[in-house]
Formats: sequence, C-alpha cells, structure tokens
Amino acid sequence: MTISNGDGDSAAKDGRRERKRKRRAEPSLVKWKTEGEQKTYSSKLIEALRRVRRSSATGAASAATDHSRSRAVREAADRALAAAARGRTRWSRAILCGRTLKRRVLPRAGRPKPVGPARAAERSKPPALKTKARVLGRLVPGCRKLPLPSLLEEVSDYIAALEMQIRAMSVIAEALSAVGGAPSPAQTEGPM
Amino acid sequence: MSSRRPRSWQSSSASRITDEQINDLVSKLQAVLPEARIRRSDRVSAAKVLQETCNYIRSLHREVDDLSERLSELLASTESSSAQAAIIRSLLM
Repeated sequence: MTISNGDGDSAAKDGRRERKRKRRAEPSLVKWKTEGEQKTYSSKLIEALRRVRRSSATGAASAATDHSRSRAVREAADRALAAAARGRTRWSRAILCGRTLKRRVLPRAGRPKPVGPARAAERSKPPALKTKARVLGRLVPGCRKLPLPSLLEEVSDYIAALEMQIRAMSVIAEALSAVGGAPSPAQTEGPM
Repeated sequence: MSSRRPRSWQSSSASRITDEQINDLVSKLQAVLPEARIRRSDRVSAAKVLQETCNYIRSLHREVDDLSERLSELLASTESSSAQAAIIRSLLM
C-alpha cells in the first residue's frame, strides 16, 4: 500500500469509477472532435499509408492500378479509424474483424416474424421506419441486425468518426500536395 | 425455452421500445446531422431523419473514397520519404 494523500487515493478511485460509468454509458462523441484524437489518427494513417506505398512499389508496379491502390488506401484508413475507436463500438470491431462480413450476403430465409394478436399490439415501429433502419444498418459495418436504439448510437458514433477521418485525410492530402509542389520543410499548421 | 433465439428478437419482445424512446434517440441523431444544426424543428419526422442520415453517411463515404483516391495518386507521385517525414513532423507539432 503506497502511502499517499487521501485526496489522491479518492481522486484515483473517482476517476476509476467515472471510467467504469463511461464504459457502460454511450460512447462519447466529443472525442472525435478533439485535436489530439485527430493527430493520433493522422500519424496512424501515415504509417499505414507508408506501408501501402511500400507494398505497391515493391510489388508489380504495373499491376497496381489506381483503383486497387485507392481501395487499399481506403481500407487502411478505415482500419486505422476502427483502431482509434479502441473496440468500444460495434462498427469498429466489425471493420477490424475483416470487411468480408460486409460483402457477404447472409441468407434471409430464416426470418419468421412473430405475428399474432399478442405481438401485433407491440408493433410500435411503422414498417417505413423499419425499412429505413434496415438500410441504415447496411450502411454501417456490422450493424445489420441491431435493434433501433443501439443502431442509432452506433450511427452517431460512426458519423462523428467518419467526419474526423475526412478532416484528417484532407489535411494529409493538402500537406502532401503542398510538399509535392514546393518543398517547404517547416509547415506550422497545428495551433499550439 | 427462448434461450436459443437470437438477441434481435428478444429485444423486441422483452424490452418494449416505446415510441418516446425512439423519438428521443432520433432527435439525438438529428443533432449530429449537419443540416439540423441550423434548423432544429420538431416537425421533422423520424423517417425523414433516418433518410437524411442514410444520405449523409453515403456522402461521407463518397468523400472518403475521393480522398483516398487523391491520396493514392499523391502517394504514387511523391517519391521522397523526406517529404512524408516533414508531414509527420508538421502534424505532430
């Protein structure tokens, strides 16, 4: 037992308690807007882009078409984004587990609707909402068979993450194009 | 008895998701959409919000695709790794 202040101990415990509470609560959307998160993501992305560049350079350069390269970049960016989510959301886990899940068309034969007098009263969601929710579930990776409340939570986190991804990628693209044009080593872009 | 059923079923039968809950979540989602930030009217129906969300996600995907195309072209053109080192430095500072 370390001999420290009572305040320090209680503060640490509070922090731990708060962290536990946050884990059960919905994922905070604010983190996707912070500068720090974007910088972390940007550096991860640059590493991934380096790997993509090396693999496309050492491999058959003629076979690496523009489309396959941009596809590789997109997947690297998505995987970096999912890693930044730290596995707290479904869509991030689905991306990290491999994107084949999204492409595979699961057979919808076994979809028995529990229709009955008792169930009909519970049908609070009109079919229009249901179909739209299904379309939404298809757009977000790994969220096809999710009930509506969880789906909406995943969607809001996914949108915030995508926005950050776009911000980071445009910054990198600007920097790369600027460097490609005129080599200027010191570019102080980030506000201190 | 119903332990083998997938969870998506149990949620609709066990915990009744009320309309109010749905509207609450939908309004939260609406706050994330770019348009809704300007006009926040309660007259927007849930279906419209879901539709807007789908469109917005699709446009975000398209933007990411365009950006990755641009990045792949830039990657192919820039040969020197010192350029990338400069970028990393400028980003991390």
